[in-house]
Amino acid sequence: MSGAVTNRVLLAVALALAAVYLFPLYWMYVTSLKTQSSIFAVPPEFLPGAPQWDNYATIWEVANILRYIGNSLVIASGVTLITALVGSGCAYVLARYRNGWIDAALFAVLMLQVLPPSLMVTPIFVGFASVGLLEYPRFATILAFSAKTMPFFVILCRAAFMTVPRELEEAALVDGNSRIGAFFMIVLPLARNGLLISALLVFMNGFGEYVYSASIIADNRLQPASIGMTNFLQPNVVNWNAIMAFAATYVTPILAAFVLLQRQIVNGLTAGALK
Amino acid sequence: MKRLVYASVLALMTGAGGAVAQDVTLTLWTESATAPESVFAQEFSAIDNGITIEIREIRFDDLVTDTLRAVATGTNPDLIAIDNPDHAAFASRGAFLDITDQVAASDVIDIDAVFEGPRASLTWDGRIYGIPRASNTIALYYNRDLFAAAGLDPDSPPRTWDDLLEAARALTDPENDVYGIAFSARASEEGTFQFLPWAQMAGGSFDNINAEGVADALALWKAFLDEGLASPDTLTRGQWDSTGTFNGGNAAMVISGPWELGRMASDAAFDWGVTLLPVREEGGVRASALGDFNLAIFANTDHPEEAFAFLEYYMSQVDRVWPEFTRLPSVAGVALAPTGDARIDAAAQVFTEQLSYARNRGPHPDWPRISQEIQTAFQSVLTGQAEAQEALDEAAARIDGIMN
Amino acid sequence: MTRILRSLRDGIGFDVLLVIIALSYLLVFAGLPLIYNVIISFQTVDVFSLGTLWHPNAGFDNYRAIFDDPLAGRVLWQTIVFTLGSVALQFTFGFALALFFHQNFTGATWIRGLFLAAWVMPGLVVGVLWNWLLSGDFGVINHLLESLGLIEDPVFWRSNVETSLYAVLIANIWYGTPFNMILLAVGLAAIPGDLYEAAELDGANAFQRFWTITLPMMRATIGAVLALGIIFTLQQFDLFAAITQGGPAGSSTVAQYWSWQLSFREFDFGRGAVISVLMIIVVLFVSLIYVRSTKAETQL
Repeated sequence: MSGAVTNRVLLAVALALAAVYLFPLYWMYVTSLKTQSSIFAVPPEFLPGAPQWDNYATIWEVANILRYIGNSLVIASGVTLITALVGSGCAYVLARYRNGWIDAALFAVLMLQVLPPSLMVTPIFVGFASVGLLEYPRFATILAFSAKTMPFFVILCRAAFMTVPRELEEAALVDGNSRIGAFFMIVLPLARNGLLISALLVFMNGFGEYVYSASIIADNRLQPASIGMTNFLQPNVVNWNAIMAFAATYVTPILAAFVLLQRQIVNGLTAGALK
Repeated sequence: MKRLVYASVLALMTGAGGAVAQDVTLTLWTESATAPESVFAQEFSAIDNGITIEIREIRFDDLVTDTLRAVATGTNPDLIAIDNPDHAAFASRGAFLDITDQVAASDVIDIDAVFEGPRASLTWDGRIYGIPRASNTIALYYNRDLFAAAGLDPDSPPRTWDDLLEAARALTDPENDVYGIAFSARASEEGTFQFLPWAQMAGGSFDNINAEGVADALALWKAFLDEGLASPDTLTRGQWDSTGTFNGGNAAMVISGPWELGRMASDAAFDWGVTLLPVREEGGVRASALGDFNLAIFANTDHPEEAFAFLEYYMSQVDRVWPEFTRLPSVAGVALAPTGDARIDAAAQVFTEQLSYARNRGPHPDWPRISQEIQTAFQSVLTGQAEAQEALDEAAARIDGIMN
Repeated sequence: MTRILRSLRDGIGFDVLLVIIALSYLLVFAGLPLIYNVIISFQTVDVFSLGTLWHPNAGFDNYRAIFDDPLAGRVLWQTIVFTLGSVALQFTFGFALALFFHQNFTGATWIRGLFLAAWVMPGLVVGVLWNWLLSGDFGVINHLLESLGLIEDPVFWRSNVETSLYAVLIANIWYGTPFNMILLAVGLAAIPGDLYEAAELDGANAFQRFWTITLPMMRATIGAVLALGIIFTLQQFDLFAAITQGGPAGSSTVAQYWSWQLSFREFDFGRGAVISVLMIIVVLFVSLIYVRSTKAETQL
């Protein structure tokens, strides 16, 4: 088989896999254009009979979607920033040494993310209320959620730092760099791809955060899109189409950015400084 | 410049002394910014009375949880709209303001005109802890076209359980993907809401769930599922989605409430009607579920008078909840203005009558736990894991344990 | 003082400081809530006294109540099936996809990026979508299986006590696969290509290369992915809420969903906390195994 043929076969398989995998995503877009009752049609409608573009008009006009997305961006950025700042250094140290203390620290980091947010939120809410953090609800949400993403970030970055050869750092120290200098000049750049992917995953996570925001942020004007979307879920009446239109609107740009960025990062790695 | 103006306004106000009412801001938590209490609160804020109401929308599933946390930490709002079975948990522990005396003195609120079900849901220990927002209940929707096609008379829908079962059998048509009936037997409050009326028509109640006859009600539900007259997904599907299949023509009857009317009127491509829930036998006891929310004031509010003024405003506008929000007023003697759609107006008459048979759930502070036992009972029977009487006896014993 | 400063700049102090910052942050925002859960599992908690730590002591009453509950055994079994099933299949699919896209063909990285869609989608939306896809009557999955002639009658994935847990499992595998894929892809990309070239010269076939180079070189990544996979699966909640609500008749209730139900549906916070304590113990073992596994990591 020639290279070009292999290439085409692989591409065809990849497209087929993606098509199957992305079907639920397609279903979100299609549903966002259906009428309320055609969601339940038998057999299912693979294309909306009469596209209901009004669903998008609804969320654009009624649901303040831009304000919600803005808040989501604030929360996601804050979470990513805190997690990366506090977590990278820790991950680096945990990757650099091998002893009982390090094991204990690694163990503690993993253990601390055991409970789902729904079970953590009550004590956090009570604690925040007593120290007055509820006055700054978005900041409080960022603080709380960063603790949720940090262990995950540390574990992943630790794996990334493991790939940085110790000799390079030691050479830098011999050259007269301080530890801090060596960390920033040598280690961080070499592990940047793993760090960036982890940070991106954290950002995505923060973008969709629901549980903490829902409990901590009382003011509708400060709430993220994950909550704005649920305003269509009422006790007896659920506007599924609007929910899907809302989700499609806030997921699509993020998804596009993600597809572009992951290519840069994972690709960059093979061409990275390791060689 | 701006600051100067602001300062002089301030000076004017303080100079005027007590002549200008202090501006008061109240907070209201609700499940929807488009619900009547939210709309009325905006109007109320626009009135020049010095009172502004800020609304916070909370997803229905989170409403009680968030409120509990807020009460525990003293960060609760002044006012809340809360699902009626959840009212007692707050009223019984003193979280809600006892407004019995204010209601008695009010010219606007006539608590005796409130239907019995909603009134019971907001009463605890003989005291009044709120006002009803509106009421809803469930009845039987049916597809008149499918009735005619199956040789049934669209003008005489099922009146008894036997009629209902027969009709469901006649209407079920697997070839064309049509189930005879749709309802919800989900493991959630919705399931309890749908099941209790059948238990009550058979002589049972939440605190007497193993009464003789309740097993028959379960047998009816089980027949729907076992004979394939209702979708097996009835066990995991809510009322809204079940009614969606009715609107799409895939179920010939559905049990649901007036909240469906708007969507049905626009989506259903067939002629439909509504009738009272069938009774156990001709002349049998009628019963139905009582749904919708109550409005309450929190006991720790700094502004009880202002908050009560809003409740009075709400009650003064109660004749608008039907024409503007398709909700049924909880107060006797409110005429329902025509909507312009004859089917909806006819349905309104049926729902109003059905509402007079509606019984509230509880009131009991531990209602969610009681409800959970009821759900466990009907789900284990419907999935064939337990015998009806056995499951009901066990639920009754556990409910007894919760209540005493 | 200068010694401390110097140590911070050039010695072990630098490392200690970095770890301490992160650990103290975690202790405050994750450790304290955890301890709170442990404490209230031994107390009788009234819904309106959540704001305080002082509740009547209940000893092991809550624990006894949980172990005596007829649901307990089933929940345990279902949690095990769900967790191991999710992690094993997410990992397998994720690794297969990572290896597949690791081959250099046109568009590989673009298409791989598309798979990440799942990671971006809010849990609620994923749950609702799968609820519809798995629906017995109007579900697309049944429709496709029927048109392919694989099944005669619709399968009621969500509503059959035999399949409800698997309905959620299918959705969760879909949800978690891209996470596994992207991390394993990063790990794969970090393996120096010359190792493979050398092995190829020695006559090792693709399978041997996978066993002797890929797997050992990716030990750190695989350990991290599996440990995180188990912990994430134990936190999965939205899918249960949207697809089965733990039903029918408890047939798809897992530990985290049960704990939430007890705490926030029945308002029995003490018993809800008992389950979280039991989950803490499980994660304790997972963490121990992970930490042990890191001993065998290869540092480049």
